[in-house]
Amino acid sequence: MGQYRIMVIDDEKIVGDMAKMSLEQEGYAVETFLNAEPALKRLQEEKFDVVVTDYKMKGIDGMEVLKAVRDRYPKTQVIMITAFANLDAAIEALRRDVHDFFPKPVKIRELKASIKRALEKQSDS
Amino acid sequence: MRMVAERLRSLFRIRRRARDPQSFERLFNQFRQVLESNNRALETINEMGDILGGDYLFDVQYVKRAYAELSSSLNDSLRGFDVLTQNRYPRLQEAYRRIDETISRVIGEPTVVSGELIVFYENITADMSDLVGGKNASLAELRNALKLDVPPAFAVTARAFDSFVQHNRIFEKVEASGGGAALSESSFAELHEAMLHGEIPPDLERAMDKALRRLGQLCGRECSISVRSSAGEEDGDLSFAGQFETILNVPLELEAVEDAYRKVLASLFSGKSWVYLTRKGYDVRKMKMAAACMVMVDAAVSGVLYSADPLGDTDVVVINSGWGLGPSIVEGRMDVDRYLVKKGGVPEIADVRIGEKGSMTVGLRGGGVAESETPKDVAATPSLTQGQVLELARLGVMIETHFRRPQDVEWAIDAEGATYLLQSRPLRFAEASRTAAESAPVADSDVLMKRKGLVVQGGAASGRVFILRKAREVDLVPKGAVLVARHDSSILVRVMPQVSAIITDTGTSTSHMSSLSREFRVPTAVNVGDAARVLTHGQEVTVVVGDGGVSVYRGRVGRLLSAAGLDSTRMEDLHEFRRKRFLLRYIAPLNLVDPLREEFTPEACKTLHDILRFIHEKSVAELIDSASFGSTSRAAARLDLPIPAGIVVIDIGGGLSNPNGDDRVTLEQISSTPLKAVITGMTHPGVWRSDAVPLTVGDFMTSMLRAPGVAPQGALVMDRNVAVVSREYMNLNLKFGYHFTILDCYCSKNARNNHVYFRFAGGATEITKRTRRLRFISHVLGEYGFNIKTKGDLVIARLANVGQQEMADILDRIGRMLSYTRQLDAVMHDDSSVEKYVKNFVEEKYGF
Repeated sequence: MGQYRIMVIDDEKIVGDMAKMSLEQEGYAVETFLNAEPALKRLQEEKFDVVVTDYKMKGIDGMEVLKAVRDRYPKTQVIMITAFANLDAAIEALRRDVHDFFPKPVKIRELKASIKRALEKQSDS
Repeated sequence: MRMVAERLRSLFRIRRRARDPQSFERLFNQFRQVLESNNRALETINEMGDILGGDYLFDVQYVKRAYAELSSSLNDSLRGFDVLTQNRYPRLQEAYRRIDETISRVIGEPTVVSGELIVFYENITADMSDLVGGKNASLAELRNALKLDVPPAFAVTARAFDSFVQHNRIFEKVEASGGGAALSESSFAELHEAMLHGEIPPDLERAMDKALRRLGQLCGRECSISVRSSAGEEDGDLSFAGQFETILNVPLELEAVEDAYRKVLASLFSGKSWVYLTRKGYDVRKMKMAAACMVMVDAAVSGVLYSADPLGDTDVVVINSGWGLGPSIVEGRMDVDRYLVKKGGVPEIADVRIGEKGSMTVGLRGGGVAESETPKDVAATPSLTQGQVLELARLGVMIETHFRRPQDVEWAIDAEGATYLLQSRPLRFAEASRTAAESAPVADSDVLMKRKGLVVQGGAASGRVFILRKAREVDLVPKGAVLVARHDSSILVRVMPQVSAIITDTGTSTSHMSSLSREFRVPTAVNVGDAARVLTHGQEVTVVVGDGGVSVYRGRVGRLLSAAGLDSTRMEDLHEFRRKRFLLRYIAPLNLVDPLREEFTPEACKTLHDILRFIHEKSVAELIDSASFGSTSRAAARLDLPIPAGIVVIDIGGGLSNPNGDDRVTLEQISSTPLKAVITGMTHPGVWRSDAVPLTVGDFMTSMLRAPGVAPQGALVMDRNVAVVSREYMNLNLKFGYHFTILDCYCSKNARNNHVYFRFAGGATEITKRTRRLRFISHVLGEYGFNIKTKGDLVIARLANVGQQEMADILDRIGRMLSYTRQLDAVMHDDSSVEKYVKNFVEEKYGF
């Protein structure tokens, strides 16, 4: 059984760094990106099991990342994080498509639990 | 004792001073507003403590938003406080501005620094560390504050670095291709080249020339200098040990110094720093590299001293020394002498090990250094006299005391015997490892090596041996390998995050590599002697670095491996995380605890919490003062109770029945419905314990640190508790020891108008016990239907729409709870006791 691969995209370095450090402790292989463009390029080369992405970013935003992942890897789960706690409409729209949705600051324990569920869901389907 | 009594007297001394006649109601409203904004600020502080504690992913937006919220509440408090006290504490605004500036600087993105291009050490002041970098700042402090001998030197500042980078448009090339999470190693190589060939901007060149002339006047034109890096955070919490270039023995000529300076700047982008910086989460585009230009000491002996043993013993000083200049010692390239000095009243040498110092680094005529063979007759003789060892130990202790943490100090002694300090940085301790008992029996035939060498970082690991023959092969070391090398070298940092253990045949526990091993927590042993010969390339082994050296076993011995491996880096090591969490240092700690002490002044406020505390204390005092002795004739009276609760009551209408305006009133004379109910409860038989509850040593220490006059001095008069009352209203501010309670309520015949606001914070005991008390309070208030919110060591509870009689009953119970909980956290020894005490309390059993 290989390592699960997690991709984290957030335009603030500290978010990616902290996520990488905490998720690597769980034994995942983690790659981080500061914006979506190189991340999507990387997705062309390699499949990731879970993509954690910021919702609002300069250039390509989280919605487009979601779409790109959906098109290419239907089984890959997407977790959206956002700085805006009150994006009810967006949450509603996303609910069908994303595995989970977190407003920032994100409790790391909850993110880990969510990733674990996402991986289980993936292996069930 | 006399001083304390005097202060107590002065606190209660009548202060009659002219103040504008403002109605007490207005004053009181102002007071309530101040406390309300204070409370908002405290809630934000609690929340920031939680979020920045490492359990959350947060971004800079969050930090900015939270701090903006905190500033807004604190500004409201300060404004209200100034009105309340008629601007009597202008220094408090100054203290706030000072702290706010520091915090804003940490939150803000690093900008172009301002200041001189070059600063001589004698002119470096404590606030210049951003400008001159960590290494320059701490050396200048040794020189200027401790008056220790540091060779003449100047800093080429971070502003000079900015100017060099801009002049040569260094980052423009990589910006275009940027965008990934970090710069790639090839971008680093490009930047390295660009720096090496950059042109020194004309104004920097002029400043450098002038500075070199001045050094020449100080030490003669024949002298030479060293050019070293002094990056932003270097020699701070992370060492960057050996990551950047040091150029020794540079002639005092402009061109040569410029060349050396370029090399030092370029080392920011070396292959080895790439691994370190990336791993530690630095954005290299934001780093600034200052440099130190320092007159070379013609060193007869050089070395490193640790003012404590990095393996944990803080009662000793460890000194490593060797002949000649320092590089081969700090890089661990050769054997050294090792002295262990026991600290204490009269330091004494506890252990000496004289090494076979076969080689030494010497300066070459005309510049540069070289390794040369040590003359046979001195190779094995001690490099330091007993007096020198003790003198170095004394310096180490002095520096440690000054910086208030153990230090890693580089030093040199010249031919005349004068000692100079060349560097000082915080010492990184080895992580306590969770190695399984080494006594687990292993068949003799499987023991490849038993307790050899010097322990740098303990731990256990297994992997395949990789014998590194040449430094340039370092990139071939596979993930998980047990790295075995002839020499210890900071170049190994390139693979440190991925190897499972490091063993070297030579080397010292004070080398750069050793510092890095501890930082990355890689099990490491040095000076093992023959590991490269005994172990075979490719063989699988288990390595245990522990008491007395390294042991190596054939194959993978599961039971020797600790259940959980040490992580190679931790959240605290992440640069941005530390930087943001660093903010809390200026926000959360409470230093101003005792209002009876002379230090309880605006000037002594070091954190925003201190400022809030000052505001709270002085606002309550102001209210009592102005009600009792101000121009408004307001009935203010001290409650005469069977318990020493020390409550002053200010009546704003129908709250007291003391027709003669007596300044002492009894419970019977209270006509305020809510106050009467609470006091009845507080004085209920058995709830106020006057005997001392035994505190554990931990509690006692905490209470000493946090508050004056906690439980043991139960009979001490409580200070400045105040109730502002009318017939139906009460605002009660209580401080018992370190617990702050605010109870604000309206208790009338009309249930719809009635409310209780309860707020409780603090505690003198250890945090777990404080948390138990908060749980106790929440449970009890929950029983009465309160809506409860807890944050950190804070409880806020609200209740409304309750009839007068029911509310009076509830206030009676709250009164009992206030008395009862004063000492409760000292006796709740475990979590299950919370339920027990809640049950007892509800059943009116008040014994402990």
